[in-house]
Amino acid sequence: MMMPLRIRKVALTAHVTFSVGSLGAVACFLALALVGLNNPDPQTVQAVYTSMDLATRLVIVPLVLISLVTGLVQSLGTHWGLFRHYWVVLKLAVSVVVLTVLLMQMDLIASVADKSAKAALSTNELRQARISLAIHAAGGLLALLVPAALSVFKPRGLTRYGWRKQHQESASA
Amino acid sequence: MSQPPPEYPGMPRWVKVIGILAATLAVLALVIVLTGVGGPHGPGRHMKSGLAEPPPESVDP
Repeated sequence: MMMPLRIRKVALTAHVTFSVGSLGAVACFLALALVGLNNPDPQTVQAVYTSMDLATRLVIVPLVLISLVTGLVQSLGTHWGLFRHYWVVLKLAVSVVVLTVLLMQMDLIASVADKSAKAALSTNELRQARISLAIHAAGGLLALLVPAALSVFKPRGLTRYGWRKQHQESASA
Repeated sequence: MSQPPPEYPGMPRWVKVIGILAATLAVLALVIVLTGVGGPHGPGRHMKSGLAEPPPESVDP
């Protein structure tokens, strides 16, 4: 179903805002993860991991989720469709993978924040977990750049379904 | 009289390249996790290298 122009513009604005917002939020998370990894001051480390936990639950997850939902609305309510163009399918797949990995990381983030709040962490404590948080944040940031680039470049290529629908529509017109 | 629809031109090259890259990355990630090259994986296992939970206080009967 095609959305009216005004609603399409509102939906597009929401999608761009939440998508770019999630990129910025993950960039902040990565900066905090790097500070937490190398800072020798236990109070700073505690503040960093508490902030990362709060930012994940209150900002990053909602932004990524709303970005995905507004993307679905945007594709289903316009001529682009959800499975007609390869770039839309790829964008959807990357967004779903990013959200899944993010949700899987939440326990680890909460756990590190909890441990750092209970006792001062030295640079070597929970080293592996803290490195993992930084690596996953960097990977998430790179992955979120893919949908952003796809939305701008919109590389050509119809899926088989999109090809069939296009010819059905042009035949009936 | 309506013309039959033209033949589907096939998947574009950029999709094939990205598909191969994604499959390679997925296999690499699987190998890293299964062989343990990247260290133990999963939140529970990360905790072993760091702080241990304090033992529960013993309660006298």
